Amino acid sequence: MIVIKIGGGAEIDHEAILRDLKRQLDGGERAVVIHGANHEMKIISEQLGKPPRMITSVSGYESRYTDAETIEIFNMVYAGKVNTMLVALAHRLGINAVGLSGVDGGLLRGPRKKALKVVENGKRMIIRDDHSGRIEDVNVDLLRTLLDAGYTPLISPPALSDEGEPINVDGDRAAACIAAALGADRLIILSNVPGLLRDKDDESTLIDRVDRRRMDEFETFAEGRMKKKTMGAAEAIDQGVGEVIFADARIDDPIEHALRHEGTVIS
Amino acid sequence: MSAAECPICGAELTLGDDLVAGELLECADCGTELEVESTEPVVVSEAPTEQEDWGE
Repeated sequence: MIVIKIGGGAEIDHEAILRDLKRQLDGGERAVVIHGANHEMKIISEQLGKPPRMITSVSGYESRYTDAETIEIFNMVYAGKVNTMLVALAHRLGINAVGLSGVDGGLLRGPRKKALKVVENGKRMIIRDDHSGRIEDVNVDLLRTLLDAGYTPLISPPALSDEGEPINVDGDRAAACIAAALGADRLIILSNVPGLLRDKDDESTLIDRVDRRRMDEFETFAEGRMKKKTMGAAEAIDQGVGEVIFADARIDDPIEHALRHEGTVIS
Repeated sequence: MSAAECPICGAELTLGDDLVAGELLECADCGTELEVESTEPVVVSEAPTEQEDWGE
């Protein structure tokens, strides 16, 4: 069983990823896919006159400020436009995909974050109207039902809060939760970089292997969105996933390359 | 410059002129993290201690 997270950045070659996924499935592999939609979210938000406002947590993690208007756009972009288009593309390529958001069937559940501590303009602030949260429960029965019936789940945020509202959750950490809940052998995180880089502007500085026990030493190289990917990777390993591979989503056969450990392997 | 008392230890807090609602401060005496609930009048309370988390 492999869990694959497809990043939502620009330059992601969705067709190459899903073509490769089809080959893996034909070879007997079972897979669950989670995707982001960050780039599309930025475009659509700006078109709707609601440009993204990014906030930085007190320990340096950046995320989208998700007020009431933003979560509506988030739902439309992630679970609506991008998920639908990816599921349709999967079917064109011969994959029997089912599109789900974390809300559907209570697939991904957890508390909404009622108070978020951030740094803004040099001040530490508390934000109380953010519609973000974290995942505490995965509906594994639903995933296993779909997998056993021959479907490939293709999942998107949002998740479902304990109060029954859609909430923005980090896709990489969602992938980690799903991989752990399913007892996956591998979690592959595909994005628009080859893996964890010592120098984020130099793709030749790829770090090819990280021992989970020495993760702290390598986390210093993670900047921006990579910080959350490394956190997701650590959580996945700690919860029993065999290995996590960061690999390039912009190339042909990206899953095959990742399975051959061409990227950053964390175990 | 505004002034208020720490609700935990009673120490006087010295607050800047650019104080805003929602700002987080630390009491210099007891180290408690405080939240500015309002600036007119100045009202502070103990800030919630919650595990950090975020979305996409």
